[in-house]
Amino acid sequence: MMLGRVIGEVWATKRAGAFGHRKAMLVATLAREGDRLFPTGEVVVALDDIGAQQGNVVTVSWGSGARAVFAPPDNRHVLVDAAISRIVDAITLDESGRVLNLQHEEG
Amino acid sequence: MFLGRVVGTVWSTVKWKGLEGVKFLVVRPYHLADLIPEVSCPPGFSSEDGVVVADILGAGVGEDVIIAYGHSARVALEPHLKDGQLPSRPVDAAVVAIVDRYEASAQPGFDAKVKPGEKKTRPATSATSSRKKK
Repeated sequence: MMLGRVIGEVWATKRAGAFGHRKAMLVATLAREGDRLFPTGEVVVALDDIGAQQGNVVTVSWGSGARAVFAPPDNRHVLVDAAISRIVDAITLDESGRVLNLQHEEG
Repeated sequence: MFLGRVVGTVWSTVKWKGLEGVKFLVVRPYHLADLIPEVSCPPGFSSEDGVVVADILGAGVGEDVIIAYGHSARVALEPHLKDGQLPSRPVDAAVVAIVDRYEASAQPGFDAKVKPGEKKTRPATSATSSRKKK
């Protein structure tokens, strides 16, 4: 899984059938250094079923893990290889239990 | 999956039998600095790489597309799979959607200044795009 921030959305009317009518979000991947998260420069498209908003920090699941987000367990026909699997509220930074709270950054 | 722009086409005369009739395109992925110019990327990040993808939707050069990898790409090429039937073509990247429009913007709290990178010299891409009507 990958940590990223939702930066936008993509709309497409012409798509492969099994793609369905889910929202496709643009997610910028994040890396952590010390107390801060910074974008690595990579952007992925992840389908969303849980209502992630622009600016949310999310985790993206890949491959069959992404298909499991939408249609467990018999999902070989589902055309998804990246799905938003959770909206992150906070991240533990180190063993001392310090927490990076992401909630205040929203809205 | 990723968002990219079709920059070229690949032709081949000798190919695996099942790939006849499948078009192959060269797609350049969009990176963060293309979508949101005010965000600078870490140095050493190449944004010139192209990916060869299969296409049955009919995307053309200059169009923006969404690419899926792996099993999803094979499913995209075979829309009439029956239950329990598995795709068989040797493909691992395919166009799954032709993009009409995308929007991207940095939110407050998006830490853009932590890792300043080198200035890119490639042409700026607008943060909002519209597909040309044919």
